[in-house]
Amino acid sequence: MSHLEKVTNMPVSLESKPHDPRVAALEAQLKSAVMEIAELRARDGLKTQFLANISHDLRTPLTAVITHAEILRDGILGDLTPRQMESVRGIISGGRQLLSQVGEILTYARGAANQLALVPTRFAIREVLEQMSVLNESLLKKKRLALSLDIQSDVPPIVADREKIAHVVGNLLGNAIDFTAPGGQVWLKASHKVDEEKRALLIVEVGDTGVGIAAEHHDLIFREFAQVDATPSRPHHGTGLGLTIARRLVELHGGQIWVESKLGTGSRFFFTVPVEQPD
Amino acid sequence: MSSSHVLVVEDNALVSGAMRVLLESADHRVSIAASVAESLGLARTDVPTLALIDLSLPDGDGLALVAPLFAAGCKTVIALTGHDDPETRARCLASGCADVFVKPVPARELLNRVARWLA
Repeated sequence: MSHLEKVTNMPVSLESKPHDPRVAALEAQLKSAVMEIAELRARDGLKTQFLANISHDLRTPLTAVITHAEILRDGILGDLTPRQMESVRGIISGGRQLLSQVGEILTYARGAANQLALVPTRFAIREVLEQMSVLNESLLKKKRLALSLDIQSDVPPIVADREKIAHVVGNLLGNAIDFTAPGGQVWLKASHKVDEEKRALLIVEVGDTGVGIAAEHHDLIFREFAQVDATPSRPHHGTGLGLTIARRLVELHGGQIWVESKLGTGSRFFFTVPVEQPD
Repeated sequence: MSSSHVLVVEDNALVSGAMRVLLESADHRVSIAASVAESLGLARTDVPTLALIDLSLPDGDGLALVAPLFAAGCKTVIALTGHDDPETRARCLASGCADVFVKPVPARELLNRVARWLA
């Protein structure tokens, strides 16, 4: 139970002598604190709903921009000169990047409002890891990063929400690529184990030889909107929600996520997912 | 497959405008409706061969259009949605949609898939 929950769940009436003014003052303070917490929670809920609505509404005009640009790129209205083509491709890639960031905000808001449901199917983690490697091929090439895949031969298929697991791997791999200097290495590993409660767990590791994360930031990075460097001039941009979403999606499956890293020595992100989802 | 009548049901004029440009380039005749009521009125007087329907419309759920469109003689209904999740997909297919397009569908792909359903 969090500290906040303990405070809110405290009985408001303290055992007291009826006429002790100090106890009466404390009771009044506690009552007002409880009301304030309820008010803050309600406002937080409204903000989350606002985020979900606005990100959904932003998608619509963006969709139109991208479609118009693709109509031009695909020569549907006639051929473009090479320079016009370059410009139109810029509109499309900028639009798609913006769309994916808006999508992250929407996923975050739905997660915060407990509106994310799992749709489990049985699949091999190898398929997801290979799919993510292919999707990131051009980025890896651009940064001259070597990606290796190491999947223990006896890893069983898992029952989980495939899209959401792919989302987690995608966010971790995206960070690994973003925070590793050209010429470095990135890897995806999968293994399995049985935990203390005799649950079979899949373990996925996404590692890199990049900038690394200082120990004091290991918790911070999983918190919403937190970025180790949040200055406007920071070299790595993004919504700051990637790891929060990853944690939310892993926990939704009953798994855990953590990082092992030191500044300057690269990072190894791990997450576990139960091999079977309870009914 | 030229000159099929395609109905685009979408309440955002920017999106339906882009669809019109795209579909007309493939020689389809395009009608646009921005609500459930407008679509029903239109389908009664000028039956579409294929309808692309957005799910959230100002006066209701776009999927409510599937049955009346079929009843009017429309051959294929395709859902257009911003929600890229399996629940939405399953709901659209269960309502009778032949396909589900997640916005933004790449322009060329949209034309190809519409052509396949009209073939």
